[in-house]
Amino acid sequence: MDFNRVWLPYLYLYGVGGLFFFGSLALVVRSGACDRTRFADRRWFRVLFTGFLWIAGLHLAGNLLALFL
Amino acid sequence: MLRLLLQQASDSDVAAAKQIAAEAGNSPVFWVVVVGYFVLVLGFGAYFARFNKSTSDFFFGGRRFKWWLITMSIVATGVGSHSFLKYSSMGFEHGFSSTMTYMNDWFFMPLFMFGWLPIIYFMRVRSIPEYFERRFNRPVRVLATISLLLYMLGYIGIGFLTMAKTLHPILEGTLGWSLMEIIWVVALVAGVYITFGGQTAVIFTDLLQGFILLFAGLALLLLGLDWFGGLGAFWAALPADFKLPLASFNDDPGFNFVGIFWQDAVAGSIGFLFINQGLIMRFLACKSVNEGRKAAAVNVLFMMPLSAIAVGCAGWIGRGMVSQGALPADTSPDDVFTLVTALVASKAGFGFFVAAVTAALMSTVDTLINAVAAVFVNDVYRLAAPRRDDKHYLKVAMMVSAGATVLGVGAAWIFTSFDSVYRAHGAFHSTLTPPLVTAILLGIFWRRFTTAGAVATFVIGGGLIVAGRVWPLTLIAPFSHGIPASESHPYSYIGALYNLVACFGAAVVVSLFTRRRTDEQTDGMTIWTLETARRAFKGGEPNDARGFALPLRWRVEPGLPEGAVQVDAEALQGMAAGAGDLAYVCDKRWWLGGLRSAHARLHAEPHALGEVVLLAPDVFEAGHFQEGRIVIVEKEL
Repeated sequence: MDFNRVWLPYLYLYGVGGLFFFGSLALVVRSGACDRTRFADRRWFRVLFTGFLWIAGLHLAGNLLALFL
Repeated sequence: MLRLLLQQASDSDVAAAKQIAAEAGNSPVFWVVVVGYFVLVLGFGAYFARFNKSTSDFFFGGRRFKWWLITMSIVATGVGSHSFLKYSSMGFEHGFSSTMTYMNDWFFMPLFMFGWLPIIYFMRVRSIPEYFERRFNRPVRVLATISLLLYMLGYIGIGFLTMAKTLHPILEGTLGWSLMEIIWVVALVAGVYITFGGQTAVIFTDLLQGFILLFAGLALLLLGLDWFGGLGAFWAALPADFKLPLASFNDDPGFNFVGIFWQDAVAGSIGFLFINQGLIMRFLACKSVNEGRKAAAVNVLFMMPLSAIAVGCAGWIGRGMVSQGALPADTSPDDVFTLVTALVASKAGFGFFVAAVTAALMSTVDTLINAVAAVFVNDVYRLAAPRRDDKHYLKVAMMVSAGATVLGVGAAWIFTSFDSVYRAHGAFHSTLTPPLVTAILLGIFWRRFTTAGAVATFVIGGGLIVAGRVWPLTLIAPFSHGIPASESHPYSYIGALYNLVACFGAAVVVSLFTRRRTDEQTDGMTIWTLETARRAFKGGEPNDARGFALPLRWRVEPGLPEGAVQVDAEALQGMAAGAGDLAYVCDKRWWLGGLRSAHARLHAEPHALGEVVLLAPDVFEAGHFQEGRIVIVEKEL
């Protein structure tokens, strides 16, 4: 399978999607809606970041399974 | 000659599979399972309907439930609306990339968790139109109400149509019913149920169905793997690019990654999280903002990937069956779910799967009918007839539910003119979602967004969307990312990008040339003024100190003021709470999910009676607490 078929959608999804995600994360921190001096907000900030890596990892694993199995 | 023989074999295979489905429809076992399932589900919901005490309970479930209960309830709604039928069809045609739409909702989660959810919860925003009036003014509320009611009625129509299409192959052969006759019957069942149930009943019915749907989908996968003789044989039967989790970038106008990214990951995700009134009512039924965040996170990170497998696997199994010659390659994708299920399950099993899927769709439709009633009563009727008693509004809500059901049938009739459920859904969704999505996002996150800008979003943005439908090759082509234009429905997915740009453009340009409302006028309605929202919710300065949840005995104290609870000084210290803080009192049994619980305010003076919490009579009444049961008391804010 060629590079564009496998990796172009992945790079677009986490490139453009990542811009939305990290842009909105920066916006809620800058506005004070996510106040990182509060324990609960700090914890949810970590959950958001880990969640992004989790979903990106699932898609990465899917691509690798399709390529090598 | 060979071609003719293959065609004959193919026809006989489809006929054989359809024969199995029709035979199941004639089997008493099948009908006992289907009817029994519906009686079980409706009885389960009706039992919990008795917890409705007011319109607040009927619409919002009383702001009391735990995250896991709401998560499973959302699963039933999500799986119901993104049905087995639709994704089995996509899975059959395009493979594992049918899971794309379930795996792309995390990008806007920061805005949901830290923006929209706290705003609707702390400011007690009960509907989207109410938000628009408080953020802008009444004319904007009217525009939003019209958009929202059309959006929800369209979804009800899609639900009825999908349900009818699921049952049609079975009922056509046995009872001779047409598609429209089946639509009327399912509408009648849905309308009667929701009219007497309300949100608490819907939440508990959905809880049950959330579990059953995941079980049904994953059981179907196991039955399919067994049919192949194991995972290895199934995997080997699938074409290579069928196994990729994302579709090809832009070469298939009927199913391309980049178009679906803008239609679903952007417009669809925001639509699902921010403007789905049914979902908002779920989150308002959570006991706290944190509990709502947990429900949303678990749903998107774990339940939706599982749901994607559950709803799509019949299509994948069907494709594997094609490569093994058990199903013809030209099987209609819309028939795949029913045919594969009929092939791998017994008659009773087939009955269970059909019942689970139609009941799930019923859940989605029930939620939407309930939401239409909530929007109409709270956003239209209460403005015209204020200060009536609760019973009057409940009666109106039931009448509106019945009316919405009939209008939903009308919408379903319109959608029958489309080639497929998926096309019909895409056509109305991509047209109605962008103005609402734009207005709500900019309303929450951009202080400079003006009332005139909001009106322009609906009016100018809506006009540009219609223009895009009329001249797609001129207006949408520059956004197409190289996707070829199909003749019948050009740019059906990537059109969402053009629609969003049109609405955002109108909103931003008009806002830059008009005067904004002051922060005082929009206090608590944007993320820049959320502290105000938290203070307004509590009626004082929020207390964010970390404390513990304490197990205590309880008794009613008639001398306490309304809405108050009283604990001793040690308990106050343990909870890190002070006088006037908000508390949450809940039956200790975790599996009740918050059904027996209440919110209250801590009394100014601690008592000296030890490990007991004293409840004002109205708190006891609201919490449905049972004699002799321990309760957990914790500080809320």
